[in-house]
Parts: sequence; structure tokens; C-alpha cells
Amino acid sequence: MRPSGAPFRGEQVSSDGDLLHVVTNDNISDGRKRFGRAIIWGTAALTLVVAAMQTMQATGNADFGFANWRPTLYAFCTWAVALCWGQVLIRGEHGKRTLFVLPAAIFVAALTIFPLLFGLLIAFSDWNLSSPTGRQFNGLDNIRQMWTDPFYWNALWNMVLYSVVIIVEYAIAFGLALLLNAQIRARKFFRVAFLLPLMLSPVAVSWMIGKSMLEARYGPLSRLARFFGVDNPSFFGSPEIARATIMVMDAWTYIPFMMIMILAGLQAIPKELNEAAKVDGANGWRNFWEVTFPLMLPVSITAILIRIIFKLKLADVVINVTAGGPGGATDTVTSFIFREYRERSNVGYGTLLAFVYLVIIVIAMTILMKLADRWMRPRT
Amino acid sequence: MKVGAYEVIKARMSRRRMLQGATALGAVAALGGPLSIRPAMAASHGGNVRAEILKIPGVGAGSPTDADWQKVGEMCLEATKANVAEGEFAGVELTFMGLNNQNLHNFLFRGFLKPWEAYTGAKINWIDLAQADYNARLQQSIATGTVDFDILEMGAPFEGDTAGKGLLDPMPDWVAAQIDADDLVGYLKPPVGTWDGKQYRVTIDGDCHTFAYRTDYFGEGAIGGAEVPKTWQQVNAVTKALVGQTDPLTGQPAHGYLDPLKGWGGFGMYFIANRAAAYVKHPDDPAWLFDPDTMKPRVNNPGWVQAIQDVMDLIATEGAYPADQINADPGTTGFSQFLAGTGSMLMWWGDIGSSARTSDTSVVGDVVGFGINPASERRYNSAAGAWEETMNEAPLMAYIGWGIYVTSRVSGDEKKRKAAWSAAAHLGGKDLSLWTAAYPSGFQPYRNSHFDYAEWEAAGYDRAFVEDYLGSNADSYNHPNAAIEPRIPGIFQYYSVAEDELSKGFAGQYASAQETADAIAAAWEKITDQIGRDSQIALYKASLGM
Repeated sequence: MRPSGAPFRGEQVSSDGDLLHVVTNDNISDGRKRFGRAIIWGTAALTLVVAAMQTMQATGNADFGFANWRPTLYAFCTWAVALCWGQVLIRGEHGKRTLFVLPAAIFVAALTIFPLLFGLLIAFSDWNLSSPTGRQFNGLDNIRQMWTDPFYWNALWNMVLYSVVIIVEYAIAFGLALLLNAQIRARKFFRVAFLLPLMLSPVAVSWMIGKSMLEARYGPLSRLARFFGVDNPSFFGSPEIARATIMVMDAWTYIPFMMIMILAGLQAIPKELNEAAKVDGANGWRNFWEVTFPLMLPVSITAILIRIIFKLKLADVVINVTAGGPGGATDTVTSFIFREYRERSNVGYGTLLAFVYLVIIVIAMTILMKLADRWMRPRT
Repeated sequence: MKVGAYEVIKARMSRRRMLQGATALGAVAALGGPLSIRPAMAASHGGNVRAEILKIPGVGAGSPTDADWQKVGEMCLEATKANVAEGEFAGVELTFMGLNNQNLHNFLFRGFLKPWEAYTGAKINWIDLAQADYNARLQQSIATGTVDFDILEMGAPFEGDTAGKGLLDPMPDWVAAQIDADDLVGYLKPPVGTWDGKQYRVTIDGDCHTFAYRTDYFGEGAIGGAEVPKTWQQVNAVTKALVGQTDPLTGQPAHGYLDPLKGWGGFGMYFIANRAAAYVKHPDDPAWLFDPDTMKPRVNNPGWVQAIQDVMDLIATEGAYPADQINADPGTTGFSQFLAGTGSMLMWWGDIGSSARTSDTSVVGDVVGFGINPASERRYNSAAGAWEETMNEAPLMAYIGWGIYVTSRVSGDEKKRKAAWSAAAHLGGKDLSLWTAAYPSGFQPYRNSHFDYAEWEAAGYDRAFVEDYLGSNADSYNHPNAAIEPRIPGIFQYYSVAEDELSKGFAGQYASAQETADAIAAAWEKITDQIGRDSQIALYKASLGM
């Protein structure tokens, strides 16, 4: 490696600036800088002009003969290239360093900001694909509709119920993890066996479990229930039972996920701690409650938070097994949006519901993470 | 023919019957003149092409292949040749969008059209879609103005979304003549396929719901009574009376009619509509879901409410339905319940009758009979706002059937337009349609000429079965009071939201059938307002030919 500040042959030595990181001596002429700024601003102006022309055409104010929106895309790409190139022209090696990040930043921004803006535009529109008038901006009408939509609130309430059950799932997962962490026979076999439900597609679970094993007359679980004296076993017959069945099916699929996370956490706890507690006279319960559980809090909180995120996306099992019924008892926000968007082509309203749900999730998760942060502080 | 139906008939073929059929065919061919396998000759010798194509590949001789489809396509080219000169469409390229369900639909069309391409010189590019993707692709193409196909396979319910928006090209008169449009069964004639008096559709399929029942439940001394129920009132009475009885076939508890109580992506609406049609489809009025002058829903009128109430009555009767019926969609009632020996009465498309005899899980193959949609002992007259104590039959033409349409992309280029219509006419040709009716194609019979049972018998089919199975379809198709759904934009949106409200009603979340129906009506009003009431009224009227 060349020592910092050591000059290349034929180059002027600069004694100013960041000599630790900048290894090239840049003597950038004013003309080069001007050219750099010119291409950046020039292409930016081009992009704006093309976008404006296309917008005018799209709104019917002018006709420039554009067949699609590609000219704007191409202009934007030109600007992105010019912006990167301009960095090097204007700032020399500093500009080159920027290039490590800038293209990726532009790419990510293009793929998030534009769709987000477009999504917002749709969310505040009356856009039913069957309507001859196409998309119409309708202000806050969709929010008002959402406010009075019993199906959406019902689905949101269901999500609260579904999420609360995660505590039970967590307890079961913790118990299983403790078992698998203990010195039991065939431990490796059980670890793999317990993970199997997680490997199944939710759609497969829907059909194999929901539609076949739980089938009211011929399903093996129904036969088992009859064997135990239940006359007419019904797993989806009443709202409460149907909701509970969906909860159990989803829990069966995802408990292994929490279990494996907790198991990994358990295995990371130094054995000496438990042994020291034992020496100090702690019994099994106190050992768990005072040593293991507090040490597992960070892992537990992480597992629960990720599980909540998974749970909030619950849709496939519901769509396949109950279609949200009976009477919306098992409906989830996602399955309701699916019906609104796909079956009813209600693109504007469906998009708004999705946006609102996203905002609710972001707020709820932020609060939960703050609370979790507080809980995870070491107890003193 | 639907694949299942073909399997049934194939299963019922015996070698003896096959030989009988072959002999009969030979005799028919001999009467008509020298038999030749060359299609042009066959066609030019006394119209034997119909008998000839039914021999490809031969009933019970395995599933047809692409070579068979091409052969049939070539043998049925005579009608095209009468209107198009050889090589007339050289240089024309067309894009065809259709389905690829069960490797049928577009797969057959490719084979049928290959000889047509060779003769006319046109080239066809294909867009194959799965059923699940079809609606979304079509709707998005329409909404975003990116219709990129010239020929379209489409169900009639979408005519409102396409013809209503000027996206389709009107059918030239020569096409109607070439396909012999007069041969279509009653309900497929105008106004179906037309908008504002213009014809847009080459029909290639028919659809209707028929009544399937267990023959071992009915008859002298049978648990369901001596007679098969003929009205919905009787259906409900028998269903209630069967509570506590034992199924004669399975030994499990007996059940009567199987209502699907769970939605099915909008398609579940057809099943409550079967009941309602008998109450509300008045012979003097083609409309029965909406008032055509105002688009005010009729779904909460006393007739519809009675239909919903009938279902609620059975829900309230413990044991009338199998356990978990609230979670049974039409697929469940048809395939998991009826075919598995649960329940004794069902409304469904033709598939259920055919699957009854071929499906591995079916136990009712030998005890199934068919009929048309039960009647009602009284009907509601929307115009008068009163019940009439008159027996009313109204079979439901659920989904109406597939057709071939030409988009307005070709309207400006006469050569291309003629080519597109010629291709459509070839697929909807009278002779070719006999083959699609008789062999696995995804399509049901839809012409009066398809119900000439002698042709089927000559080809080697079991006449008794064909008459039983197809007879119920024919009776429904040609019924003077057939209930045909509105071909307006977004019709499945109305169905979908109705399913949601019905689900709440059936789960007891609404106080009554009337309240449930009112909730549906309110939701329908919202959809109508969103899509545009005036345009919906205009399109509805256009679809009714008013």
C-alpha cells in the first residue's frame, strides 16, 4: 500500500484536505465543475419537462404523441446517470466514493418513493376497474367509507384477537424449547419433527388440515371427536369455534418458528449461570424465573415481535378455509382487502385500506419496540 | 363436453356398444355416399362430416390429441372456404387471448385453427391465461387501456365490461350465416351476445344449473317420499322431514337439499339465485336482479327475502344440514358432500352429474337423477308489487357460457377484421361444435342440433344416459322463463359483496332475512353509484335488448 500522502509520479502533492482517505490529488478545473453541474441540472430539467408533458397528455391538456410513460422513465434514468457522473466531475475522488452508495440509493428511492406516491394517489381515488370513468380523485371519501365499514373494523378487531393469542403460542413454544434443550432421548429427531409444520405452505395446511382432516363428517379429527362422544363435531360451525380453529391452525404452523428462536437463545445461555444458581440453592422454578427467563427476554421479545408481524399478514389460511366466515368471524384485514381488491376490483378503496393498515402496523410495532426496549433493560 | 362428462360416457362404453356405434356410423356413411377420410371429400358428400368428426379419435378410444384437433379443424374448414379465398389473409397477424384450463380451451383452439392458418395465410399469436388470472388480466387491460389482443375468449357476464365500453367489434352478417346462429339454444340467442342491437359474440359454450337428486331417496316407500320434489317449497319440506332419518346408501344421517352457505369468490351467489329465480323471475319481465329503469336492487323484494328465509329456516332446523354447513361452499356441497353420499338434492353445473359416475370419491353414481331448477308455488311480480299464486319455473343460466369476441383493435383494418371474424366463426362453427360437445373441450352443448340424440347414438354413445344427462340441460336452455343474469360491468362485484352479507345473515348477525337482503341492497347501491348509475342503467337496458 502506498503511504498516505506519497505522491504518484508526475502528480502535484497536496497538503490540504482529508489526507488519510483521499489518495488522489484532484485538481478540478472550473470548466469541469461547470460541465458537471450542467449535465446534472440539464438532465433534471429534461426529466421535469418530459414528466410535465406526459402529465399534460395524461390529463388531456395536450397531446405530444406519447404512447406510454417510458420517455419519463428514460429521462429519469438519464438524470440518475448524470447525477452519478456529475459527482465525479465536480468532486473528483470524493465523488467516486459517493458512487459506492449513490446508485443504490437512487435505485431504492425510485422503487419505494415513486410507488409510494403512486399508491397514495390511488388510495385517495375512487377507482373501480369496472367504472367507465376510470380513476377519479375523491379526497377523503375512502377514509370516510373506511370509518363506517363494519367489515374492516371487524377484521381489525379479529387481528387484535389473533395477535393476543401469540402470548399462548409463546408459552407453548417456550415449553417445547425447554424440552428440546433438555437431555431427552431422540432430541435431534424431535427438533426436526417439531419444525415440519413450519416447512409446509399455508395453502397446503389449509387444504390438508382445514379442508380434509377437519372435514365435519369424514375428516379423521371429526371421527376422533365422535369417538370421544361428540355427536356432531364442528370445527367451523360457530364464529367462536371457527376463529379458534383458525388460531390453532396458524399456531401449529408458526409455533416451531418461535420455538427454534427460543431454543437458539437457550443454548446461548452459559451453563455456569444455572449451575451457580443451583449451588446457591435455587429450585427448578426459581432457576427458570430468576435466571433463564430474564436472560431470554431479548430473544423472546424479538421472537414475539416477528411473530406479530407474521400474524398480521395472516390471510392464506383464512381465504382458503373459511373465506372470512362465518359472518366475518375469521376475517383478517388482508383477506378482506383481497376480496375488496381482487373480487370487487375496488382498487382505490382497497389501496387505502392497505395504507391505513400499514400505518397502524408501523405505529403499533414502534410502540411495542419501545416498550420491549424498556422491558429488556436489566432488572436492578 | 366437459372432461368429466366425457369420462362418464367413456366409462359406460362397452365393446359391444362400440361395435354397434361403428356399424351404425358405417351405415350412415354408406347411405350418404362413398366414405372417405379426406375431409374435403367427406364434407362434399352429403354432409357426412358430422359423423366423420365424431370418429376422431373415436368414443372410448383415448383422449384426443393435438393431431386430432387439427384433423377436426381441417375437416370443418368448408364453411370458411365458402367465405374466404385461399391465402386471402397472407401477412395478417392476430393475437388471441384465452384460457388454458385443464390444457383445454386455447390448446384446442390452436389445433382447430392450424389448418385455418394454413389455408388463409394468417398467423395467430397466443396469450394463455389460467382461470384465476383471467378476470384480473381482462379488467386491468380494460382499465389501463392496454387491450393487446384481437380475438378474445370471454364469458358473457363480461360483455358489459367490454362491449359496453366500445371495446368490441360488431359481428358482420356473413359470420352469423356461417355459424348458423339460428341453431343456438333459446337463451343464447339475442339479447345475449348483443349490445344496442349489435351482435358481438360467437357462442362456443352453454351454461346452466340443473337439479341433481338421489334416486334412492325418492319413490314408493323411500325416505324422501314417493315423488321427487318439484318446487322449492317441497324441497324445504322434504329436507325438514328427512331430519333424523338414515341415508339408505351410507348409513349416515340423511339430509335433503344442500345449500352452500359460504361464499365462493362471487360464484356462490348463483346458488341462492337458483332459489330466488323461482320466486322472482317473472315471465313478463326479463329483469330479476335490478330494476332496469333505476338500477334499484330487487334483491330485497319479498321474493328474494323468501329465498333467503327458506335457507334460514333450514339453518334453524337442527340436523337439516350436515354439520359445518355454514363453512360449506359450492365446491364442498357438490364434491365433498353430494358425491360422497351426504345429502340428497343439489343444484350445480353439469360437472356434478358426470363426476357422480367417474370420480373416485363418488359413491352415488348409480343413484343420481337430473331435472331442472325446482319451481315455486307462487311468484313475486315486481311490476305489480304483489305475490301471484301461480306456479313458476325459472332455470338459471349461471354464467351463460363462453364465447369468442373480436376486439375493436381490428376495426380499422378490413382485412384483419375479416380474418379475426373468420377465425372466430371457424371455432364456433356448427359442425366443429358438435365435436367439442362430444369430446373433452371444456364446453357444454349449446345448439339445438347438439341434442339430436340419434347422432350421439350413432357415434356409439349410450342413448339412455345421454338423454338423461343432456335432457335436463336442454330443458333448461330452452325454457321460456330462463333466468339470465345481467351482463353489466362489475356483475361479480355485486355477487361478491352479496356473499359477504349473506354470510353475516346466515351466521345470525342480522335480525332477519329482510335485514340481510336490505344490507345486500345497500351494498349494491354503493357499487352502482361507484361504477356510475346512469351508465349501468344504459348498459343494463342494452344487455336486455330494451
